[in-house]
Amino acid sequence: MNFEFTEDQIALRDAAREAISRHRTEPVPGTAPHDGELWKALAELGGLGLPFPEEAGGMGAGPVEAMVVALELGRAGVRTAYSETLTAAAMLGDDELFGAAVEGSRVVVPALFEPMRAWSPTPVDVRADGDALTGVREPVPYAAAAPAVVTTAATADGVGIFAIDNPTFTGARLDLAGVSARRVDGDEVLVQRAINLGTLLLSAEALGAMESALHLTVEYLKSRKQFGVPLMKFQTLTQRAADMYTSLELARSAVYYLAMTLAIRPDDAIGVSRTKVIVGKSGRHIGQEAIQLHGGIGMTAEYAVGHHTARLTEIEHTYGDTRYHLSRLARGVSEYGGLDLVS
Amino acid sequence: MQRGLSPEDEQFRSEMREFFTTAIPQDIRDKVAAGTELSKEDFERSHRIMHEAGLAVPHWPAEWGGKNWSDLQRYIYLDEMQLANVPAPLAFNANMIGPVIATFGSQTMKERFLPPTASLDIWWCQGFSEPESGSDLASLRTTAVLDGDEYVVNGQKTWTTLGQHADWIFALVRTNPAAERQQQGISMLLIPMDAPGVTLRPIQLIDGGHEVNEVFFDNVRVPADQLVGEENRGWDYAKFLLGNERVGVAPTGWIKRKLAAAKEYAAAVASGDGHLIDDPVIAARIAELECDLIALELTVLRVAANSHGGKPDPASSILKLRGSELQQDVLEFIADIAGPSSLSWDLEAESAIADWAHNATPVYLNFRKASIYGGSNEVQRQVISTGILGLKG
Ligand SMILES: Cc1cc2nc3c(=O)[nH]c(=O)nc-3n(C[C@H](O)[C@H](O)[C@H](O)COP(=O)(O)OP(=O)(O)OC[C@H]3O[C@@H](n4cnc5c(N)ncnc54)[C@H](O)[C@@H]3O)c2cc1C
Repeated sequence: MNFEFTEDQIALRDAAREAISRHRTEPVPGTAPHDGELWKALAELGGLGLPFPEEAGGMGAGPVEAMVVALELGRAGVRTAYSETLTAAAMLGDDELFGAAVEGSRVVVPALFEPMRAWSPTPVDVRADGDALTGVREPVPYAAAAPAVVTTAATADGVGIFAIDNPTFTGARLDLAGVSARRVDGDEVLVQRAINLGTLLLSAEALGAMESALHLTVEYLKSRKQFGVPLMKFQTLTQRAADMYTSLELARSAVYYLAMTLAIRPDDAIGVSRTKVIVGKSGRHIGQEAIQLHGGIGMTAEYAVGHHTARLTEIEHTYGDTRYHLSRLARGVSEYGGLDLVS
Repeated sequence: MQRGLSPEDEQFRSEMREFFTTAIPQDIRDKVAAGTELSKEDFERSHRIMHEAGLAVPHWPAEWGGKNWSDLQRYIYLDEMQLANVPAPLAFNANMIGPVIATFGSQTMKERFLPPTASLDIWWCQGFSEPESGSDLASLRTTAVLDGDEYVVNGQKTWTTLGQHADWIFALVRTNPAAERQQQGISMLLIPMDAPGVTLRPIQLIDGGHEVNEVFFDNVRVPADQLVGEENRGWDYAKFLLGNERVGVAPTGWIKRKLAAAKEYAAAVASGDGHLIDDPVIAARIAELECDLIALELTVLRVAANSHGGKPDPASSILKLRGSELQQDVLEFIADIAGPSSLSWDLEAESAIADWAHNATPVYLNFRKASIYGGSNEVQRQVISTGILGLKG
């Protein structure tokens, strides 16, 4: 059991940090557009292929390394199709888009959400008859960047995976009727495995966002003065900052552990759900308190802290929220007795 | 980064599991499982079996019975002990005064006290808190005045856990009232509980039990060679004592065991046509507590690996804070599972209600202490905000 980064992992972290700071240093508001420049820089680092085997065109590293990069993105609060590219690539099998995705010559994103339907990894209203799809995917992340898309559909023989080269979007909506799609080798096991990887990367991004939100809050408590003294003189605030720190460190342990787990057990659904719950709870806590402890400035688009909270909220709602994962876990709790984390 | 145990650590774990589940008497482990109060004799039997196996004080220096284990091994040892419902070696001996004497005591003091402390031939209690000095411990007023080669001690301690069983007390006393800072006028003295002038009065707690006491000192004469280390350095020793351990701060094995038991309990309590465990709200609460526990246990494993060689460390505050909160959450949950079956606290042979359910409320109430003693949770937050975040209040 070892939670320390290796030297290579630290070097990767530094390289990612440096690439990010060269491109953009300020968090961006709202549902921000894909940052293509940054994405290219990450591609040049080999960042997009990290968890995939070299024979397939990847970098032959693993989920831990991909997590290291995602953490830096979250810390900086930048938006680029990182977790999306890796999640899509993980579903592409030996499709020709895989190479394009991991070398960064084409933005490829997963289209997995159905409009006005609670999250489920299993497609319901998206269906396929041969290569002919029907149904709608919405919202598709970073649709404005005109990405290629990987989606899933219910087929006669279970869940199918489909690649779509140049789809036409209406906003973030993709109507699948009549689009030209090709079926990719792979089934729902591969889909779930990709979503597991995606959940890890989003959780790492959330961890980075929590780190920055707490950092900003601590600095603000030191510098902002009211009643003639810095805010840190008020224990009601510092006690809450201490709780935020505790939430952060709990989330960190869970994210690092999930990365180590997926490196040896990429299908560990329970591990993924537990991490999403831990990160979800910590993220809510830190995100809300970070704004509150800033007062009015925390509400402004000009200031970064609220954007971290926005990102944490988006991540909470992607690939199943705390409620979804808790009910998934709850259904299984009678099947085992105590927990065992070390073996 | 690497998940899992090495083959050696796996082997170590199975040895520990084998020992705790076979060597410690079942009747003691059953009592612990049901939350029934242990007698002095129960503590002693269990402690001595561990001592004879060389497992009572494995974290002490090797020459005094320590094992030179890694932090991970220490974690495994504690985890297996708690999972097996084995009562820990008496904390006042094994985790408090033992390490202090081993680190700061003279050679003579070590030879005199460490062997009987390890074997529980001396039962220690902790005399720190006073009626007017709780969180603000450095304000303590009990005095010790040197008279020839003896200190004369006057004052009062309170909250003295299991003082009624104790042979000796390690007490913080004021030896220099004129010191510039309060902290610099405090010393640590070792005092036999049967010394003339020491009296003990029980305090009953909200669970109806008697585990804490008041201890009064009326002109108690203590030989000067029972001063630990140097005069007026007692505060440093107290800080060492309260902060030297990271691995054992959060009782994650205990919580894990209780949470597994909670599932069994929820499966045993009938509800409608089925059992409580079938209620999705109950199942979701179990799932959530498991997530909370996992986050804590992984943090224990992560920060233990970076421990600072026995120095007090603010990171252990997270473990104390979350460990006590989660302990309390799980006991609250068990009391809720017991529901109306918890309304009678008395264990009766003929009862159709299990012991754990009779005990659920008093145990729940008893453990409200966990966030008060050993540095309250508010104090832990203070340590985090000043010591880690640099927020100087
Ligand atoms: C069951 C039990 C067993 C114990 N066993 C022992 C023992 O064996 N030996 C021993 O020496 N002591 C023992 N203690 C005493 C324990 O260490 C003290 O209770 C503890 O230090 C708190 O002190 P207090 O009770 O005086 O509360 P106070 O210090 O009066 O605190 C009251 C409240 O104010 C809060 N507070 C205090 N200071 C601050 C601050 N600066 N900032 C914010 N909040 C603050 C506290 O967190 C608490 O909520 C035991 C206590 C209990 C309940």
